[in-house]
Amino acid sequence: MAFVLSFLLRRLSQGLVIILLVGFVIFSLLRIIPGDPVRMMVGPMASEEQVEEIAAELGLRDPMVVQFGRYLFQLSQGDLGKSFIKNKSGASSAGGRESQGLDNKANVLDLIISTVPFSLQLAGLGIAFALLFSIPLGIAAGLRPSGIIAKIAFAISSIFVSLPNIWLAILLILVISTNLQWLPAIGYKGFSYTILPAIILAVELSAVIVRALSSSVTAIMQESYVQAGVVRGLSMGHMIRHHVLRNSSIPMLNLFGAQLGGLLLGSMFVVEYIFNYPGLGLLTINAVFQRDFPVIQGVAIITTAVLVLINIIVDLISAGIDRRLQY
Amino acid sequence: MAKEKAHFWYTVNGRMLLAAWKRPEFKFGLFVFIFLLLLSIFLPMLSEVSATKIAVRDRFMPPVVMEGGSAKHLFGTDQLGRDLLLRSLIGLQNALLIGVLSVLGMFIVGAIVGIVSGYRGGWMDTILMRITDAQMSIPVVILAITILGVSRPTPYSVILVLVLAGWPTYARVIRSAALSESKKEYVRAAKIIGASNTRIMARHIAPNILPPVAFIGVLDIARMMIFEAIFGFIGIGIQPPTPTFGNILADGTKYLINAWWITVIPGLFLFAALLSLNFIGNALEKARNDVLGGHH
Repeated sequence: MAFVLSFLLRRLSQGLVIILLVGFVIFSLLRIIPGDPVRMMVGPMASEEQVEEIAAELGLRDPMVVQFGRYLFQLSQGDLGKSFIKNKSGASSAGGRESQGLDNKANVLDLIISTVPFSLQLAGLGIAFALLFSIPLGIAAGLRPSGIIAKIAFAISSIFVSLPNIWLAILLILVISTNLQWLPAIGYKGFSYTILPAIILAVELSAVIVRALSSSVTAIMQESYVQAGVVRGLSMGHMIRHHVLRNSSIPMLNLFGAQLGGLLLGSMFVVEYIFNYPGLGLLTINAVFQRDFPVIQGVAIITTAVLVLINIIVDLISAGIDRRLQY
Repeated sequence: MAKEKAHFWYTVNGRMLLAAWKRPEFKFGLFVFIFLLLLSIFLPMLSEVSATKIAVRDRFMPPVVMEGGSAKHLFGTDQLGRDLLLRSLIGLQNALLIGVLSVLGMFIVGAIVGIVSGYRGGWMDTILMRITDAQMSIPVVILAITILGVSRPTPYSVILVLVLAGWPTYARVIRSAALSESKKEYVRAAKIIGASNTRIMARHIAPNILPPVAFIGVLDIARMMIFEAIFGFIGIGIQPPTPTFGNILADGTKYLINAWWITVIPGLFLFAALLSLNFIGNALEKARNDVLGGHH
């Protein structure tokens, strides 16, 4: 147990440094790059004095270090600030009279919390589809690396990895949603709106999972302990179920932590944008276009924190599966 | 010189290339890729049809096999009457340029940092490992969308963002190869006869460890081309009127129901290019594993 505690302590403190670093990079980036967010807020008709007044009220004219310090102080109290653009009612009003000042603006944390369930539902369904598809295929291909199934699996994953997600999304919308009218596509009015975007995510994930799983199953089948088990009279099925699968799950877990976390997040953002799906990605992309700094910062910090946590959890679980891996 | 050339196929790198060449998917991928490459270089040069000139009379023309198609526009035209074959090919040029240059950039940065930190160790090594650790937890897409979205995107900024996101992976792989290489006999021998560190790194270690990593770069070119398309689609890539897959697809979605070919045709070209690159890259990767026996 002692190693778990020291491991957690070390990794969490490292994670905190990473989060602060990402926060600072995004924070300073947004302030270096030309383009005044206050101009976006008040619209082109407002006078220069009004712009300066609101900028001063928001603290946007203070030195950057002061701004970042203030941001961190608020962050430590769980406050990610208020959106520049979005109102509490959910409408976004750039340039309107009522949009001036921050009294009526939505909390960034509330905005993020309201979109996260949608994104989790999408990501969960995408991962579920991907695993349902790639676990049987990957294992079957890995058990007979020169067999016909392995060739099919290789072809499928080559095709999947070569399909640009934006194009696949448009094709599926055209065929399944518009022509066949099997599934709805744009926006969100119920669970069925999650299925099509989840399929896109699953295709991207499966391409990676099938290949990784089959090569790790192949490698483990060549280990001497598998032969030894068979020689001692254990059935091949038993060896596969109890030993091969368990040991091939460690590289899979690491894959999920290191590679698939970022991949999933990235493609989720794009897919949400294409399908106008009201999750975290759509919120972020819209925020970038509207120069809604607090929202971009908040999303960057929260997603970094989530990725850090996923990586820590993955390492903990793999240490639980294979006791030799002590960190 | 001639003698050296004859011996190339017996070196590790030569054997890897030979092993890849023996795979049918490598030949197939290479054939398709070279065909598309030549087409995208020469057809826009030779054709008298323009890819950007608007011809309202010819708009929404379907591919030639469908009713209403014309041999002048084999793959049809878009909402402004521009030839889709030419637009796809120029989009392919741009995607390839961005893909190759960005992978080249991350490879060069990663090679320099990786070899120096693997061979020399010390503080640079420590910093590099921390950076790559951190990079695993940084949502690259958010960083890219932020940088490109709030600045004015140009081809250079797109490449810069991709290099920024990708170099640590290369540095990490190359570092571990350089680390194991630096303990080998020939490096010690070079040191003993008085070769400088720079010379050892550039002339001895680099030629031995970089080619297998470069093989995997082929797969990354395909990935970067997808990123380029995504950026263009969101509107944060190379800007119109320059045709890119991203902005063609984004325009085409507005006319999806009546003129599906505007989105389907360019996507097919991108898909074919990506598939060929992935075939080549996978064959190289397998050949590398066969020749090196999984030691790397």
